[in-house]
Amino acid sequence: MNGYIAFVKKEFMENIKNYRFFILLAVFLILGTMSAFLAKFTPEILSALAADMEMASEPVALDAWKQFYKNISGVGFSAFIILYGSCLSSEYSKGTLVLMVTKGLSRKAVILAKYTVAAVLMTICYWISYAAAYGCTACLWNDTDLSNTAPAAYGLWLVGFLYLSILITGCVIFRQTFTSILFTGGIAAVISLPGMMEPIAGFSPFILTSKNVDLISGETVPSDFIIPAFVSVAVSISGLFVAIKLFQKKQL
Amino acid sequence: MNVLTIQNLSKSFGKQKIINDLSMSVAEGSIFGFIGQNGAGKTTTMKMVLGLLQSDHGEIRVCNELVCFGETKTNRYIGYLPDVPEFYNYMTPLQYLRLCGEIAGVSKGEVERRGRELLSLVGLEGAAKKIGGFSRGMKQRLGIAQALLTQPKLLICDEPTSALDPVGRKEILDILRRISGTTTVLFSTHILSDVEHICDHVAFLNEGKTAVCGTLAEIKALHGHDRLFLEFASDKDLQLFKKQKSIAPLMSLFQENHRELILRSSNMESIQKSLFGVFAETGICPIKIELMEPSLESLFLEVVK
Repeated sequence: MNGYIAFVKKEFMENIKNYRFFILLAVFLILGTMSAFLAKFTPEILSALAADMEMASEPVALDAWKQFYKNISGVGFSAFIILYGSCLSSEYSKGTLVLMVTKGLSRKAVILAKYTVAAVLMTICYWISYAAAYGCTACLWNDTDLSNTAPAAYGLWLVGFLYLSILITGCVIFRQTFTSILFTGGIAAVISLPGMMEPIAGFSPFILTSKNVDLISGETVPSDFIIPAFVSVAVSISGLFVAIKLFQKKQL
Repeated sequence: MNVLTIQNLSKSFGKQKIINDLSMSVAEGSIFGFIGQNGAGKTTTMKMVLGLLQSDHGEIRVCNELVCFGETKTNRYIGYLPDVPEFYNYMTPLQYLRLCGEIAGVSKGEVERRGRELLSLVGLEGAAKKIGGFSRGMKQRLGIAQALLTQPKLLICDEPTSALDPVGRKEILDILRRISGTTTVLFSTHILSDVEHICDHVAFLNEGKTAVCGTLAEIKALHGHDRLFLEFASDKDLQLFKKQKSIAPLMSLFQENHRELILRSSNMESIQKSLFGVFAETGICPIKIELMEPSLESLFLEVVK
């Protein structure tokens, strides 16, 4: 436990000193703020650019949330995975972990500490982005009365943990950052496949990323998210378990 | 008591056998020189002792506890200094030592006290800048400080002086000599003068096993031959000298190079008596006569031949 806590502190320090945390915070904050503004002003921008273009309907608050989920699940998580993809490869290439392990740090503590810090940073960035999106949407659409915005956000947050778990497993298996990121993308694609197969589509964790807007608009209900949420948590824990097992036998 | 015992250790990388049935032990309180050519398997052996590499066969015990690959239990007895120690560049030396202390379960007060003490021992007490700005020698000294933080029973140094300039080398050797009273040191190198300076026990690693092992004095006495170096003024003198019947028995072990001759024997006194007799009889006056004592270098070359 000593080793785990010490390494968690070291990871926080590293993420602050190398600006990774600030970059991610800025990216997520911009995405959260931009979502509402883009949804509100895109029709006006387009009409200004093309005078003869008429928009079919006025933008509504739901458009802002559509934009938010599209941006966070696409750009936001991609930025997180790209920046965090080097969390182990840089330690492998420099050999910094050797001295830590020979000091008595357990390999399990290394993986758990890396995951904990990544998960905490992702959580901070994600909910700050959500708060920014919520605030801007409320300001731009005063009369909005949307329900389930928070449960929809919980779903995508859980998928964030799943991505991190896959990424850590990739980082353990491969020594290069790029291969770890490719691995994460590949496994995420494989996990999304059941979502296209009708009999088991309801179990796929990717419902949590694709149906958030339906939940806000009332087309689906929060109970539809329960099984995918459990599957997402179970796959995240399994991924972490596999990462620890593989790292126990990894040559440093 | 032995701090480290290695029995019948083997390790291959692909088809290449690096360590082949290696057995050796390091006695408590010694400074043990682990000598071998580049690629002889010194680092591989050390990594297996630290549980960083899996052995194919054999057993390693540190303070009588079995070393298992991937586990770090026996590492609580060991301080390790790799050949090129790497640290977190954004930390200061004291911050790094605090991290090491916390991982090893040393109390905060103790880490502060020992940290400052060790930084002073290795000459880094005033270095408040980040490790990223350190020279190689400074990193090596910080490596020793981190290795000694937990007061290990065994300090393993993997070629600590190989990449340093003469001043840096001397500093590291001085530090190792200073700590030798409290910690057993296993010190791998191919710089033989370093071994002669500080080690009391030596093992030569050749073809994956210990070719020679023992105290420095024992090894020199058992395996070393004294050598007598002769340089003649001309080739004619050398040929005349070789034709003398009385020196024929001395010529069983010799090396010839132009006008130079090296005679080997474990009884140098009788050789010298015979030689001076021959010189008096023939009137040959060699321009140089030198008695060469056995050195680790000559032993090493003999072992790896």
